[in-house]
Amino acid sequence: MAVPVLEVKGVAKTFDRVVQALRGVSIAVNENEIVGVVGENGAGKSTLMKILVGVYPPDAGEWYYKGTRTSFPKNPNEAAKKGVAIVYQEKGVIPALKVYQYLFLGHEDKYMKFPRLATTEMRRRAREITDEFHITCDVDQFMYELPLSTQKMIEIARAILGLRLEHGNDHAASVVILDEPTAPLTIEERQGLFSYILDMKKTTSFILVSHMMHEVLEFTDRVYVLRDGSLVAHYDLSRESVTEEDLFKAIVGKTSFEHAARDEGPAVPGEEVVLETRSLTKRGSYYDVSLELHKGECIGIFGPAGSGKSEIVKTIAGLMSFDSGTLMVKGEVARAGEEPHVRLTRGVGYFSGEIERQLFFNWPVKENISIVNIDKVLRRRGRIINFNAERQMAERITARLKIRTRDVNANCRSLSGGNKQKVSAGRWFERNPDILLLEDPTIGIDVGARKDIYEALKEMKSRGMSMLLVSDDPKEYSILCDRVVLIKNGRLQREVDSREFTEAMST
Amino acid sequence: MKSFSNGAKNGRARYLLGSVKKQPVVLILIVISVAFSICFPDRFLTYLNISSIVSQFVTIMLFALGPSIVAAMGSMDLTYIGIWMLGGIVLWRLTPTLGPAAILVIPVLGVVTGWLVGVIQVKAKIPSFILTLSLLVAYSGLTSLLSGGYPRIVRGYEFITAPLIPYVPTELVWTVPLIGAAVFIMRSTKVGTYLYAIGSNEEGAQLAGIDVQRYKILAFTISGLFTGLGSVIQFQHLGGSVPLALNLNTMVSPLVAIVLGGTLLTGGSGGPDRTILGALTYVVLYRGLYISFLSPEVLQLLTGLLLVVSVVIASRELRSVIVT
Amino acid sequence: MTVSIPEWLRKNTGIVIAVVAAIAVIGIFQAINPFFLSHQGRITLVYAMSYFLIAACGLTFVIMMGSFDFSVVSLLKLAALLCALYIDSIGLWVIPVAVLVCAGCGFINGLLFVKFKVPSFLATLGISVVVDGISLYLSRGFLHVITNRAFRSLSVTFFAGLPSVFYWAVGIWIICTFVALCTPFGRRIYAIGGNPTAAALCGINVAKHRLCVFTISGFLAGLAGVLYMAQFGGGSIEIGADMIIPLFASVVAGGTALTGGIGGPHRTVIGVILITWIQAGMSTLAIGRDIQLLTLALIAIGMSIVTTDRTMVSIIK
Repeated sequence: MAVPVLEVKGVAKTFDRVVQALRGVSIAVNENEIVGVVGENGAGKSTLMKILVGVYPPDAGEWYYKGTRTSFPKNPNEAAKKGVAIVYQEKGVIPALKVYQYLFLGHEDKYMKFPRLATTEMRRRAREITDEFHITCDVDQFMYELPLSTQKMIEIARAILGLRLEHGNDHAASVVILDEPTAPLTIEERQGLFSYILDMKKTTSFILVSHMMHEVLEFTDRVYVLRDGSLVAHYDLSRESVTEEDLFKAIVGKTSFEHAARDEGPAVPGEEVVLETRSLTKRGSYYDVSLELHKGECIGIFGPAGSGKSEIVKTIAGLMSFDSGTLMVKGEVARAGEEPHVRLTRGVGYFSGEIERQLFFNWPVKENISIVNIDKVLRRRGRIINFNAERQMAERITARLKIRTRDVNANCRSLSGGNKQKVSAGRWFERNPDILLLEDPTIGIDVGARKDIYEALKEMKSRGMSMLLVSDDPKEYSILCDRVVLIKNGRLQREVDSREFTEAMST
Repeated sequence: MKSFSNGAKNGRARYLLGSVKKQPVVLILIVISVAFSICFPDRFLTYLNISSIVSQFVTIMLFALGPSIVAAMGSMDLTYIGIWMLGGIVLWRLTPTLGPAAILVIPVLGVVTGWLVGVIQVKAKIPSFILTLSLLVAYSGLTSLLSGGYPRIVRGYEFITAPLIPYVPTELVWTVPLIGAAVFIMRSTKVGTYLYAIGSNEEGAQLAGIDVQRYKILAFTISGLFTGLGSVIQFQHLGGSVPLALNLNTMVSPLVAIVLGGTLLTGGSGGPDRTILGALTYVVLYRGLYISFLSPEVLQLLTGLLLVVSVVIASRELRSVIVT
Repeated sequence: MTVSIPEWLRKNTGIVIAVVAAIAVIGIFQAINPFFLSHQGRITLVYAMSYFLIAACGLTFVIMMGSFDFSVVSLLKLAALLCALYIDSIGLWVIPVAVLVCAGCGFINGLLFVKFKVPSFLATLGISVVVDGISLYLSRGFLHVITNRAFRSLSVTFFAGLPSVFYWAVGIWIICTFVALCTPFGRRIYAIGGNPTAAALCGINVAKHRLCVFTISGFLAGLAGVLYMAQFGGGSIEIGADMIIPLFASVVAGGTALTGGIGGPHRTVIGVILITWIQAGMSTLAIGRDIQLLTLALIAIGMSIVTTDRTMVSIIK
């Protein structure tokens, strides 16, 4: 068996002496291979990758390059010298640069005829590269002129190029980490990208970090599964046949489902249809989505990353527009370009796990809660804020959701992650909109906070609020939803009720 | 969204057409030049008018060179008037003691100013427009202080604008290499590429390993240097006197030239070469309107309107550029 | 409130500095020139502060919301000019006309920002130049003296030893503070300044509020201009375009940060006191306008640095 190009053993990393992001993980990458690394959010994938490219050092671990032991890189430049580079999920491209400028960004010193750049030479070399990787573009084009998939390919080419330049040897073994490479692409563009990656495999090895299990299974040679910072599974796809369910269960862990059983059966939804979509389409994201949400019901849209579920929810919230189809809220047509505040007037609230988009960190807790409920804390005469009422509302919510804070006047910034999220949930608890859209509502927060938020959501549901859930955590669907609609590649597949769903996940 | 071209090599003709489309200002320049020539043939195409155009062009370009570099990086530099004014008055103070060598004070002032702005902007995270605006006002106050309250005339530097080539204003002779140097830096060196990168996607530039802080400071310092060098020519070109008060018009015209030329204020494109076009267009438009006997107040009004309109147009173009 | 004193000091560094500085300034100037706090000195101060405070309140709202309004000074001058020019022809109607024109310009600022996505400082800079051009065109260098007693009485009628313009300023300031702190509208402005995305998701019509605030800023600038003209009664308007710096300095010195979302008119009043007293003090010491400007510009930069919340900001252009 050939010596792996890159091997790390026993990598461990703890943050702030408390959070153990990685516990003794070992992975290896061989020549001309694509290795997949999968896991939930928070499982440790991103930490591991950052250690590999030198963003920060590990607390423990060994690094072997072609069998020889060396140290971990201290910064991305050193990592490049050690043969490892990364292509980030987003923000890696510089739109205003021309292709040849971007390809050599950071490596201009190799093409300098002081003081000017040897642009002719750079162009020529760039043409060679784009030909080698079969990328269709003109090296004088600006990056923004190219389709996103081409941009991604050039990003990957740039990473490979960087490694070659550092090594000085054109065919040196190198490892390029691809972080969710297909995430920003449309469904159609994803296929194309992978055929290029397979092509590039001839000279470079890849680590593919992805949520999209079908991609991982189709294009990688071996797969590592991380859960809670540990390596829980390792599949060699040339020897074993692995299904998406197998992978999925390894990622999520079977035992956790036992605790997630719902205590009551699916509630009988009301007659009234509060939210309805008919053939809702957004090119590149989702197609022909038709749903009916009844009063007091919770529907989940479940599917792999990139399947369109996030875009559907964002569209209903007003953060995105749609191309065709109809959206109706409480019987009224909601036009495509409406802004979020209009949707809220219609009765649609949006609660997401992305706290930076939800809270005002400089503000005290009570104001974060009241801003959505301002009409409830006004004095009877005139539109003046009743500070007492505001404080009382905040105290009520804090008690109900068990928000741990010194008092309601404390700044939100000082709260821990779970408590911040509770504040966000609290404001909706008070507002009680007709429909609440949930997107990754409990991402990255502790179990206790999660439980409290679920309880609050369930109480809101019993009061008649309807919910639409989109999340990467299947346990959440079991806990909250009455029915689950499966989505793949932007199209709704079949619908199952909650019990069916839980059973399918547990076996 | 900009249309996706599929990588076919552009023919010469398509390339030319493409660049006209990308730079509508070229078309505007041609149109208004022709229009004014037709409407006022006896006043527009005279030697006097053309040399006024050249003269104004030089003034604006010398002020706009530095800021257009900073604008390509995505920030704003409004200190140019301040460097000119303060530089001039310091020169007036120092010439009796240091002789002609005192002229070096102005570029030094420019560099120091630029560097200071860069450092404060980067470390304290103050938006560049308010920072440079405040500094500009501070400089004008300092100028007034040093001048003792009267506009002063600096003598002894007439050689800067002494006639060299017949029919060609000497200022232009000095200005052209300066413009050339600025364009060269932005288009043909590593520094230029990095500045465009930072302007286009600062986070991405950081991820690519570019020391963003260092290059931002460098951009402001270079801007100060060009403004300083430009001011050496500028103050003599404008008669050797240093004014006391800030003239809003003088401050805004270089900005108009930059925006009109097509430099997006969020950064990533444009720069000194585009500003040449913008300055030329602005000056031709200004002179054309001037000789049509519009009052100076109306002219100022139109300047402001032009600034607003060009920024509006520029902002629209911005929305069509994809940022991943 | 269970906040310890050192922690409170740290959170409110800006305002503590401002208050301490104000006291120090008064002390120093009084020591140097005993006439500083004399009756006449006080009246001069009050005259300088009042119209200034009104304009600063408008600018405060804009900065609270995370934007910038460069045109406040130009609008102030325009309103003053309109009063001087047309009071003889249309009498006191000139007041609502001037104020409404300025409010309209503010609205245009808002439109440019909201509809055309022009960065606020650039839009307001452009409008400022246009308005200055209009002012120049209208005034054509004439010096007008206002003889209309009713108009002048707006600012110079004395109650309890202080001119009426003072009471106008105090009244407007109280209203602005009240709106900012006690009304849903004010809360929403803070929200937009603090986190525009979250504000939209909380149901706030961001575009509408932005238009509103720019209009208010124009309105208050116009009001300040009218009262200014009533105060001075004519002659050439001695406000330079650089007055934007003292205005901006007083907003920032008071503790309203450029990043938006904090501060407010209640803070600005302290900044206004500080800045106008420094200016007045320097004038009584016969320190030229130049050094005054220099000092104020440096204060503006300094206070911006102190008040900017660097943790909230990642990319600053």
